[in-house]
Amino acid sequence: MKYAYNLSSSTPIIKKYKASAALAEGIVVIKSAAGASGQMSTSTTTSIANALGLVVDNGLSLAAGGPITYSTTQGADEAVFGVIVNPDQVLRAQMVTGATGTSITQDTIVTASSNGLTFVGGTSVASPDMDEGIVWYTSGANVGKSRKITSTGATVTGTVIVPFAANAVGDTYLYAGVNIGLQGVTLTTDLKNVRADIAVSTGATFSIIDLELNGSADSFIHLTLGGNAWLQVQS
Amino acid sequence: MIVLVKQDWTADKLMQDAEGGGKKRGRAAGGWIDDIAAQKKVITLCPLCTNKFNPARVHYRKEKEFPVCQAKCDGCSTFDSHCSWYIYDELYTQVRSTADERRALAKSRAARIKRGYL
Repeated sequence: MKYAYNLSSSTPIIKKYKASAALAEGIVVIKSAAGASGQMSTSTTTSIANALGLVVDNGLSLAAGGPITYSTTQGADEAVFGVIVNPDQVLRAQMVTGATGTSITQDTIVTASSNGLTFVGGTSVASPDMDEGIVWYTSGANVGKSRKITSTGATVTGTVIVPFAANAVGDTYLYAGVNIGLQGVTLTTDLKNVRADIAVSTGATFSIIDLELNGSADSFIHLTLGGNAWLQVQS
Repeated sequence: MIVLVKQDWTADKLMQDAEGGGKKRGRAAGGWIDDIAAQKKVITLCPLCTNKFNPARVHYRKEKEFPVCQAKCDGCSTFDSHCSWYIYDELYTQVRSTADERRALAKSRAARIKRGYL
């Protein structure tokens, strides 16, 4: 996950906070729980509640030569890392499939649609449910065009309201359970990419502000921190 | 008699309280920054301190898309709203998405659509 810009066009605010555990750069950190050693902890694949911001370094121990981790050893390097804390920061992450983050699964049209209102492929768009998500073509007459999915009644059939041009058997397309304004995405286990194969609005409270719909290995999503610690009442 | 003064915690005070301690008292700023650079951490320097730092020498990259950031200066420990920030070169592409990167992708997308396959 990468820092891209701010909603307010303001400058980044960088703070240096103490970690409660080992952290990787490019992940969202959250407020530490009561009694935890430091000030920030790692988020999870489905939660960024009380998010502080994005970690932009993870340090390297001068003594050990590896990344600095939380340590209770007297004299050890303190795990203090830089965090971009803007509540309105926009983060850019790649859309992927699976917990470990492989390219989005590409599907192929098996039944042509002359009116352009449906796409019928080989994989289910109903489970996980992609209704309200997005579909875009990667080949054929509609290459580069996208539409909001408005219904996934039949297992392998998705419906749109604004018609595409007629598609043909063999055209390829991609779809994702994400769309503008929706809240909730599920991250990969390294907390750096967003899973496109999870049902719409499932997971951590990121809000989706933009999509870059390219190929299966280079499509991206822009997110804001819905569960930000600076904008909500502390629990 | 014990007088209890209630602390009024605002978001600003919480952020200030949670910040790292910074340079130790009496420690030379240059040595402290060399230590941070050796640890490959992000470095923030105010306009007065930034000219004393050579990022290329320690394989750091100055952030240019956002020429300033708001941070506590690693040299003089002063919060400044016009700091420069430096990221370790190898980490830069893992934590920053730049307009140049997005522009290159957009150009590539347009070229691929012309070829008929995204």
